[in-house]
Amino acid sequence: MWQRSANLADIEALELNKAPSLRKRFILAGSGIIAVIALIAINLVFNYSQRLADLSYDRLLLSALWQMDENILVEEGRLSIDIPWSAFSTLAQANEDRIFYRVESSSEGYITGNKRLMSSPPAQAELGKPHFYNQNFSGEPIRIVWLERAVTKANIQGTVTILLAQTRLSRDAMASSITTRAVQVILLIAIVAVLLIILGSHLVLNPLHRIEELLEERQPGDLTPIKLDTPKETYQLKVALNHFMARLHKNLEQLENYTAESAHQLRTPLASLKALAENARDQTTPERQQEALEQIVQQSETLSETVTILLNQAVVSHRLQTQRLVPLDLVELIKQSCMAQAVSALRQGIHLSFESTETEVFILGEAFSLQQMLNNLVDNAVRYSAIKAVTDDKAKMVEIHIRQDGRSVILSVIDYGDGIADDKKNRVFERFYRANYEISGTGVGLAMVKEITDRHRAHIKISDTQPSGATISVDFPLFINNETEL
Amino acid sequence: MKNLVRLILGIICWYSWGIQANPVVYQYDNNLNEGANFFQEQRTLNIYSTVDLDAFEPLLKAFVENHPSTKLAYHDVNSLELYHKVIAEKDRPKASLIVSSAMDLQLKLVNEGLAKTYQSSMTQALPDMAKWRSQIFAFSLEPVVMLVNQTLFPGDELPDNRLDLLKIMRQYSQAFQGKIGTYDIRTSGVGYLLASQDARQADATWGRLIEAFGSHQVQTYCCTSAMIDDVAAGDLLLGYNLVGSYAHKRALGDPRLTMIMPSDYTLLMMRSALIPKLAPNAEDAGIFIDFLLSEKAQNLMLDKNLLFPIGDASQATDISAKRSHPTRIIELDQQLLVGRDHAKQSRFIRSWESALELSELD
Repeated sequence: MWQRSANLADIEALELNKAPSLRKRFILAGSGIIAVIALIAINLVFNYSQRLADLSYDRLLLSALWQMDENILVEEGRLSIDIPWSAFSTLAQANEDRIFYRVESSSEGYITGNKRLMSSPPAQAELGKPHFYNQNFSGEPIRIVWLERAVTKANIQGTVTILLAQTRLSRDAMASSITTRAVQVILLIAIVAVLLIILGSHLVLNPLHRIEELLEERQPGDLTPIKLDTPKETYQLKVALNHFMARLHKNLEQLENYTAESAHQLRTPLASLKALAENARDQTTPERQQEALEQIVQQSETLSETVTILLNQAVVSHRLQTQRLVPLDLVELIKQSCMAQAVSALRQGIHLSFESTETEVFILGEAFSLQQMLNNLVDNAVRYSAIKAVTDDKAKMVEIHIRQDGRSVILSVIDYGDGIADDKKNRVFERFYRANYEISGTGVGLAMVKEITDRHRAHIKISDTQPSGATISVDFPLFINNETEL
Repeated sequence: MKNLVRLILGIICWYSWGIQANPVVYQYDNNLNEGANFFQEQRTLNIYSTVDLDAFEPLLKAFVENHPSTKLAYHDVNSLELYHKVIAEKDRPKASLIVSSAMDLQLKLVNEGLAKTYQSSMTQALPDMAKWRSQIFAFSLEPVVMLVNQTLFPGDELPDNRLDLLKIMRQYSQAFQGKIGTYDIRTSGVGYLLASQDARQADATWGRLIEAFGSHQVQTYCCTSAMIDDVAAGDLLLGYNLVGSYAHKRALGDPRLTMIMPSDYTLLMMRSALIPKLAPNAEDAGIFIDFLLSEKAQNLMLDKNLLFPIGDASQATDISAKRSHPTRIIELDQQLLVGRDHAKQSRFIRSWESALELSELD
């Protein structure tokens, strides 16, 4: 025993190791999302800081350009420029950046500046409007502002073009300082967020641990509801656990009752057997003894039947709990079952008839328990029919019908016995309830039937047969191929 | 007469460059221990420089003493010439260090991308105005001055500023005829720098000044030292826009000479060094720059009245601070490029020529 529980603990530990951790998943998913958000943010910051730096330094460049533009002049009939010192003092705010420029006109060509700086206008060049673009020049990336405008001086036609450029050191330095700071902030936030998730996961899962501890600490037989103040989120879990325990409690109670009843059921025939046996022993004449022995045999048969039914019920319960439902042909199943019972019914003077509207009809079911269900229903019907005083031939019939109605398959077992009174119709499914004590039986048959139909999600209904008798119909859901199983 | 003077000057200048075509070589004197000649594989550091050899020699000697494995080859070059030489040799530079007082041309070389980046704790200690892009480094800061021969100078008082000078020139117009000297901005890089900075600082004063120079038949020079010689000799009464360190040294040893730092504003210029991008011996060039910025070299400049050290900028401004008049430091930044703009430069030289009544060169 100790050995087994040790093994169990080992297996539990192994399973625990293999089991995915909710907390780990939560933290991983949270961290993943934060990482993605952080990456997106960093990417945005990169672009933004680059744009911001360009925006700031483009203003300097443009201001210098306009200062140059203002100082275009005509000198001895030729266009020239007198670059103001202030233009370059503006540009000198970008401390370390080299400056390139070139001034030319459509009439004279090169006027001043760097001859190697090519004045290829940007594609969407527009007169009088400055354009910014990037280029590589003299081994460094540079930012160029380009302006071409019409000359408004007297006697000179055409346009003048000014290119002013600076290297990107200050821009890059500014962009990277913005980026660095922003990335620091983003990383800080991300780290704090991850820490909060770790802390939060602990807090969130804490009530679960508390419920777990509480259950672990319980005495084995303690099925009372959990009394624990839990947050809303775990309240439903607590309620579900309590419901489950209540059901378990009820089941246990039923099982106790059942065991007691079963014992009782067995004790009565055993006592009667004993009485019969004593009676047989005390008889003096062989005829009397013979008669008594005959009674013993009958009683033994009844007892054996009861035991069989109880055993069958146990088997059915077990199978219903453990076997999966599979598609099977109800027509074929019922047909075979009827054939098996036809002989024993005939022995009691009852004819079985089977009718089906379909040649085959599939439901999801468990074959053994369905057979047991039919056996019970037919057996009941036969018994109830057999005791009825013979009035006509029809009373000696039990009809079994199968028909398909839309998405359901209806199995009906019809007898022409005395029927069941309305007030008893609902109670016949109760365990050990017997509608008629004149008829031999255990009182467990219909309860088992109910259990079986419930498991098959079928509805069972008792109605009256005209002119007399009972009709029990079971309404199974039709199995349609390719449909997801129950 | 004017043309003759210029011709002679031109010959002198050409001659002096001609001499300098052969560099002066400095190396550690290891004759004393010839037996143990450790330094057979001496590296040579070629220096192109505009600094007068007189002023630079003690520094060069001090350097080779400290760095016996390096041999210095010193090429004295005129500042304008130097600029063109560096560009011409940009693919196969001969010199690994370029030293010049023509800040604008030096900065232009850097802007063209011809200089190599060099960083050390010494260069990092320099103030921002004294370096640019870690490619050009100033090692001396000196005032731009007037030098007068006070024994010959007319009137009771020496001029204190430019307006004083204009007044005295008007007053003693005759005495000043042909007796004023200044840089020829067409041939001297530093001369152009100083003139353009003058024009920038006080355009009106500058206009009147060169107008007056023109009407008094100003003499133009290639170099400060030549002007000082002529002032000392009495051929000139006054030299305008002279490099302070040279004038200071000569004035100390010659009572006839008085150095004047104009009180309206005194320009402060720097001498700067850079390493060509493809310099063959950039390593030693860097060491030499560190040496120039070292306390030892800076003290040497000060003690021997060679140059005004950059490290102790107060020294240069001290003299002026006594008179509490404004100084204008020409900073090493992109603004210097404006003065060397192609259109601006030719316009400036043309107006300078016409004001000084000189015919165009060439």
